[in-house]
Amino acid sequence: MRGKPSVNRWQRIGIGFALYGCAVTLGLGSAWWVLKKAPWTIQTVRVGAWETSLLAGSAHADLYTRAAIAANGLLALGRDETMYFIASQDDAGHPLRSRCSYRVEGVPPQARWWSVTAYAEDMFLFDAPNQQYSLNGTTARLDASGHFALTTGGQEQPGTHWLPTPGDRGVVLTLRLYNPEPELQAAPTSLRPPMIKAIGACA
Amino acid sequence: MKRISGQQRLWFYRILTLIVTAILVHILAVWAAPRLIMQVLMRGPMAQTLNMHNQAAFPPPVTAASRTVVMPSPDLLYSVCVFDLTAGPVRISASPNLKSYWSIALYAANSDNFFVINDRKFNGKPADLWLVSLSGSSDTLPVPAGAQVVVSPSTTGFLLMRVLTGNYDAEKAVIEPARHTLTCTPA
Repeated sequence: MRGKPSVNRWQRIGIGFALYGCAVTLGLGSAWWVLKKAPWTIQTVRVGAWETSLLAGSAHADLYTRAAIAANGLLALGRDETMYFIASQDDAGHPLRSRCSYRVEGVPPQARWWSVTAYAEDMFLFDAPNQQYSLNGTTARLDASGHFALTTGGQEQPGTHWLPTPGDRGVVLTLRLYNPEPELQAAPTSLRPPMIKAIGACA
Repeated sequence: MKRISGQQRLWFYRILTLIVTAILVHILAVWAAPRLIMQVLMRGPMAQTLNMHNQAAFPPPVTAASRTVVMPSPDLLYSVCVFDLTAGPVRISASPNLKSYWSIALYAANSDNFFVINDRKFNGKPADLWLVSLSGSSDTLPVPAGAQVVVSPSTTGFLLMRVLTGNYDAEKAVIEPARHTLTCTPA
């Protein structure tokens, strides 16, 4: 009987530690999930399959935007210097997968210079065997109607600029616009978004 | 009406404490994340390897092996410097003399991009920036005419110079010497 209070005390201490452990795990886990998996927590504008944050790199960014940009696009510039449009799904709304092939086609955006880069879901470059990671305003060849085109996927599509995306992972396409025109800065939805269409069945 | 037992009250407060603590930890983690990421960038392995404390450093072109900073652009050649204003202002200069895009961006310790300037603003002239802290005064600095004083919101931060290279192999002979004009040293 004399040992019971001591047992209860240790029980309470154990419960206290377990609860604080759960709280810390919940707090850290939810923060990680929000920053890496729940991009809707930051203010973005959608144009076609592409999204852009209006506050990337800005000192006016809120707590969540600043953290999400640091985690997913560290050292971003403000939109008066550079605009970043991100796509992680195709025009049909299906998540982009590296084992599938996609055609990305559009007109050069209203900016001094632009590029489209394919990243894996961890936001690093794919290990492309041909070391082609992007199509840009210098390397793009426009067709007779003024359109550029590229393909992504594990298999090269003849006649297009191919960005290899080996493996089976999520794909994130990034459209960068350097020195975008003031009209586009003011109204990001005025971008004519490059289309992203799946080609054939996934390998 | 059924009364709440002491045991039930105890568990109510325990769960309440858990929820409040989880929310506080969540907010603290979101607040701290950009600051921790910047600290890793400024003091981590890359910073140690490149020796870029108040000194310009010139990482190699971006490839699939570049895994220090997320979303590296393969179309840009980066030059970097960790500025530290603890001992006084830092002078930043560059004269790439390129017709294509280049810029110098400064980031605070919380990851905010507090300053950026590009080749169009310099119009072919060299860049000469004097970086001072919020508590520092630029009145006594020997700032030459044409130089620009920039106030940093934090004592330490990160400089990133971007030089556009649509085709690095073809442009290497021009842009490598151009980016190596960057200096970042105590004033």
